[in-house]
Amino acid sequence: MSVLRGNHYALMGIEPGATTEQIEKAFRYLIELYGDEALATYSLLDPGEAKQMRAQLREAYDVLREPMRRLEYDVRHGLISGRAPSLGGELPSAAFGAGVGGVDNDDKTGRPGRAEPFVLPEPVNGRVLRAFREERGIRLREIADTTKITLRYLEYIEADRYSALPAAVYLRGFLQEYARAIGLDPRRTSEAYLANSGIQETGE
Amino acid sequence: MNGRRPGTAGGSARQIWSLGGGKGGIGKSVLAAALGYELARMGKRVILIDADLGGANLHTCLGMGAPEKTLGDFILRRVERIEDVLVETGFRGLRLISGASDFLGAANIKHLQKVRVLSRIRSLDVDVVILDLGAGTAFNIIDFFLISDVGLLTLVPEPTSIESGYRFLKAALYRRLRAVAPTEAIRQIVDAAGDRKNSLGIRTPLDLLNTVAMEDQRALEPLRREMAAFHPRFVLNQVRDEEDGVIGHQLVTACARHLGIAAAYAGSVRFDDTVWKSLRQRRLFAVDAPTSQAAEDVRRLARALSGGENLAIEWA
Repeated sequence: MSVLRGNHYALMGIEPGATTEQIEKAFRYLIELYGDEALATYSLLDPGEAKQMRAQLREAYDVLREPMRRLEYDVRHGLISGRAPSLGGELPSAAFGAGVGGVDNDDKTGRPGRAEPFVLPEPVNGRVLRAFREERGIRLREIADTTKITLRYLEYIEADRYSALPAAVYLRGFLQEYARAIGLDPRRTSEAYLANSGIQETGE
Repeated sequence: MNGRRPGTAGGSARQIWSLGGGKGGIGKSVLAAALGYELARMGKRVILIDADLGGANLHTCLGMGAPEKTLGDFILRRVERIEDVLVETGFRGLRLISGASDFLGAANIKHLQKVRVLSRIRSLDVDVVILDLGAGTAFNIIDFFLISDVGLLTLVPEPTSIESGYRFLKAALYRRLRAVAPTEAIRQIVDAAGDRKNSLGIRTPLDLLNTVAMEDQRALEPLRREMAAFHPRFVLNQVRDEEDGVIGHQLVTACARHLGIAAAYAGSVRFDDTVWKSLRQRRLFAVDAPTSQAAEDVRRLARALSGGENLAIEWA
C-alpha cells in the first residue's frame, strides 16, 4: 500500500479552508478508520502501514489545530490565497507571506511593508498575537518605540493580563497600534481580541 | 454501473440492479427477494433473476418450489425467449427467473451465451430487474455486476465479508480497465494486477495506475476515466450494533483513499430474528413480518435506491 501523499489537508480529506470543527471531525473519524481493529481497513493495510497512517494523521492534526502553526504551514505550502475562505475571509497572501520562513519576499527587512493587513482567524488572544509577531521577527521593543505604547502594556496584551490593562476605550487604541505594527488589520484584530477577552466597554 | 447498453427493440428494463457480495452466506438472496418484494409493493414492475448459476435458491427465499423452467433452459436454447422462463411469484408485480441449478457447468457459460443473456435481460419490459449474483469473483459474475445500472455490494460487518468485498471490487474494476486498455502491454499490466502475487508489486488500482504511468503515459487517461465512472454501492446487511452504521461510511472512505474507487453507501439492514425464522419456514420475512426492523430497513433501501435518494458519493 502506498502511503498517501499530499499535504496535511489531503491526508485528512479536507479542504485547506476547513473549519476547526471539520478538522476535529476528520481527525476523529480517520483515527478510528485506521484503528487496530477497524474492519474497513484491516485487509487494505498491514498493521505497520495503519500505524504509520495514524502517526501521519496525528502530525497533521497537531499542526492544523494550532492556528499559528497552521498559518505557517499554509504559507510555506503556498496554500494561502487571497480568497481562502476559512481564515477570516480576506487573506492578502502577500502580506503574510512576507517574512515567514521559506517564502520569498522582496522586502529585505522581512517586515510587512506596503502590503495589505492580515486578518487572523478567531479566537484572537495574546498567545496568537505573540506567535504571529514572533513569526515576523518583530521585537516588542521596536513596537514600543514606534507606537509610544509602554512595553509593559504590550507584554500584558500578549500575556492576556486583562486586569492589568487600561480600560477598553484605551486598550482598543493600543491594540490597533500594535496590530498595525505587525501587519495585522487594526480594526478587526482589536475587535477580535476584545471579544475574546470578554472585556466590557464602559461607555464611549 | 455504466451507460453502455446495447440497443434493444421493444421494451427495455428501465433499471438493472445487481447484488454482488463476493462471499456466500451473508443473506444476499433473501435481501434480493425482499428488495424485489418491496419495490413491487411500491407499484414497480419487478423481475428477480437468480444469476447464481451454480447455487440458485432465490425461489426458496420467496416460498416457492423449484420452478420447472430456469435461466439454464434459456442459456442452452431449450427455449427461445427469455420471457419463456419467467414465472409468477404469487406477489403482484413481482416475477422470477430462477437460476440454473439443474445442470452442471452453468456457472461457466461461454462468452457468446453470456452476451445473449445480458442483452435479453436488458430488453425485458419492466421497471426494475434485480440480479442476485453468486459468490466469488468469476468473470461471469462480474460481467453481470458490470452491466447493471446500480451495482450493490452486499456485505456484513465482519472481516471476512469485507475482505471478499474489496477483492470483488478490485476484480470488477480490473475487468473494466482491461476492456479499455489501449495496448497489449497495458492489458498485460492489468492482467498482472489481477493476480494477488504479481511480480510488479501492484496491490491496488492506485498502484496499477502508477505502473501504467511508467509504461505509457498516454494510457493513463482512458484508465482514469474508467475508474472515475465506476460507482459501486455498499449495502450492509445483518447490522447488529448502532456503531456498525459508521462502517458503511468508512468503507467508502477507505475505497476512495486506498483503492481509488468512488463508492457510495446505500444503507444498512439490521439483524433481525424474523429473517431466519421466516426463511426456515421457506417464507419471506418482509411478507410475514412487515413491521419488523429488517423489513423497515429494506423498504427504506428500496425507496432510496429507486428514488435516487442517498446515492450521492459521500465522504465521511
